[in-house]
Amino acid sequence: MRVLLFGIIAEKAGASELELEATSVNELRDRLAERITGLGDLVHAIAVDRQVVRDDRKLNGSEEIAVLPPFAGG
Amino acid sequence: MSEKKHKVRDIFVEGPIDPQFVATSLEKHATRLDIGAHELFLGQVRADDKSGQAVEAIDYTAYRDMALERMTDIREEAFAKWPSMTCLHVHHSLGRIPAGQLCFFVFASAPHRQAAREAVAWVVDRIKADLPIFGREVLSDSTHVWKRNS
Repeated sequence: MRVLLFGIIAEKAGASELELEATSVNELRDRLAERITGLGDLVHAIAVDRQVVRDDRKLNGSEEIAVLPPFAGG
Repeated sequence: MSEKKHKVRDIFVEGPIDPQFVATSLEKHATRLDIGAHELFLGQVRADDKSGQAVEAIDYTAYRDMALERMTDIREEAFAKWPSMTCLHVHHSLGRIPAGQLCFFVFASAPHRQAAREAVAWVVDRIKADLPIFGREVLSDSTHVWKRNS
């Protein structure tokens, strides 16, 4: 699945998106940690289909996934 | 020019918000004779000191689709909370905004001041808390830090 990255997370990853496989947000977090060094030290939320979700959320692979660092609008 | 239809509107503008755009927005409401009060919030990039280095600019990016969905929800909620509000306009910059330039414009109009005032204060807070907008503060020594709303 395509995972969109933003802000400091994209900077650390050196990419604005990654291709990963996961069946839950929990598993996705593990896959992300393998690919982005230091991710564990960065505050971030996972959005599924443009809604921030909990870690036990299941994924079927068709969703729009995004990794969101703290917001800074305004 | 009814604003009470809650379709998805693009709030994002590339680069700083021109003060002339603010004046023009205000001017456009002169034909709405039911309006008695306008309330405007204008956010300006501040040259904060970050460990001895001044913020020279902020590079704004956003998760556009999610931000516009959240903004549509916020707009609907605002019109439900302040039903007398005549219209609500929101603009936020993307790209590089130098210190001293405008990056955020929220503008509400209503027959009386209380609704417009309360709505703008509430909408500004909601946008800062809920919209996935990211800010990279560019410092005077060309390093950067990532802005984070408190």
